Amino acid sequence: MMTNSSPMVKITNVHKVFAGKLHVLCGIDLEVQKGETVVILGASGSGKSTLLRCINFLEEPTAGTIEVDGTAINAGEDDKLRENHILEIRKKTGMCFQSFNLFPHMTALENIIEGPITVLGQKKKQAVLYAEELLDWVGLTEKRDEHPSRLSGGQQQRVAIARSLAMKPKVMLFDEPTSALDPELVGEVVEVMERLAKEGMTIIAVTHELHFARDVADRVLIMDEGVWVEEGTPEKIFNNPDKERTRQFLAHIL
Amino acid sequence: MKAKTMHPGAGGIPPEAQAVLNQIETGKSKYKRNMAIAFAVLIVFMITTLIVLGLDFKFMVKWLPFILAGSGYTFLVAFLAITLACILAVVGALGRLSTNPIFNSIATSYVSLIRGTPLLVQVYMWYLALPQIGKALEAYGIPGIQRLFTLPAVPAGILALGVCYGAYMTETVRAGIQSIKIGQTEAAKALGMTKTQTMKRIIFPQALRVIIPPVSNEFIAMIKDSSLVSLMGVWELSYRAIKVGRRHFQSLEMLIMVAFIYWIMCMVLQFVQEKIEKHMARGDRRTS
Repeated sequence: MMTNSSPMVKITNVHKVFAGKLHVLCGIDLEVQKGETVVILGASGSGKSTLLRCINFLEEPTAGTIEVDGTAINAGEDDKLRENHILEIRKKTGMCFQSFNLFPHMTALENIIEGPITVLGQKKKQAVLYAEELLDWVGLTEKRDEHPSRLSGGQQQRVAIARSLAMKPKVMLFDEPTSALDPELVGEVVEVMERLAKEGMTIIAVTHELHFARDVADRVLIMDEGVWVEEGTPEKIFNNPDKERTRQFLAHIL
Repeated sequence: MKAKTMHPGAGGIPPEAQAVLNQIETGKSKYKRNMAIAFAVLIVFMITTLIVLGLDFKFMVKWLPFILAGSGYTFLVAFLAITLACILAVVGALGRLSTNPIFNSIATSYVSLIRGTPLLVQVYMWYLALPQIGKALEAYGIPGIQRLFTLPAVPAGILALGVCYGAYMTETVRAGIQSIKIGQTEAAKALGMTKTQTMKRIIFPQALRVIIPPVSNEFIAMIKDSSLVSLMGVWELSYRAIKVGRRHFQSLEMLIMVAFIYWIMCMVLQFVQEKIEKHMARGDRRTS
């Protein structure tokens, strides 16, 4: 999977300080290659969600550089093109949230075509065609005209994934996509994520789904108090980790 | 001990549960019946009072068309003023939420000033004091400004009501926008939407649903406050009623009649509000 070409996502020495004192990320580096699936594990409050949100600038990094598919932004750098660069990175990255965040005033289909029409300026007809394809892909064709309040959590998250994919992103970010779901609904979302990984999408996922980490991830990273503790293949991390902290963490969640 | 199991959805409702259901049903219909009786008694009481007072119904019927002719002004003033108020409210709310210090301070002082002064004073300000401002400005060498600032009664009334209600509604709209969860903004941002797109496509349509009830409330209040333009001699509903009542020394009849006309107008508006709310609630689990 590793290639020598430039990485799809490159995070260099990223710091995030909240409210002037809470140091959440302490100099994080990360390179993710095209087509790679990376899972970030860590205790709650370790900074993994914040890192994910820094990649598409839902959080502004306090220091460091974020680069997605050739578009690089330095924290603190304040030039006129910065806003445009942020929008560019956001168009290249799809994000799925723990709480789905579907637009409740729109049907499933309308949720999916909103980005392509409003942001990419596509014609409605074209957007609808692709949206229907995506709905079929996540197995929700029959829910096309339902509002989110009529969908189960798992169905909402699958629509949310389709909504992100409609933008034809280069990278997908998953921020604990199954944490708000009833246990019986987790499987359908994980299954969609797995298929996405198999089709070659570059994925960075923060998740507690160890099954996904073990079977689908190319690489697993453990974060603690804003620094990397350890990284490696799933086999190594789960069966034979080097660090004591990793062992403790895994013992805690397994 | 073996638990008694049933197929899901099979077996019907056991008699004791049916009894409870029936009891709830009779309770509901009893409540409806008592409510109807209470309303009927109230209406009879009101009508009897009016008859006992010895109202001159013939006089009322005779003047009804004349009074009703004033409702045109009432509606004109109220509709134009509420339109102005809505525009001001949206701009004001965006100002109140803006991080731009100039925009924000203007919006904040607008709300503070207008909410802090009586509507009556504001009405006179637009009608009587504005020409004086025009005169002063003209003295400083802006030609024609006095004539521009001397407003006829109806436009002055529309401006006064619109600007005043706009200030109150600014706060309503701001609260509506702020009531939309941050996750909605984040999802829109993550799709690559600009701030304007996010506001227009995602936040505002949802906020609208929240602010429809309070805005209808304002509109109903506005219908009645439009009677303030009678202060400037506009022949709208209440002005006509008061004039006629005074001239014939039958103010009671005229005031009761005009009160009823306002009441009916507001009931119609309330009905429209309920329809709009139902329409806006599509996709909302609480009502479906």
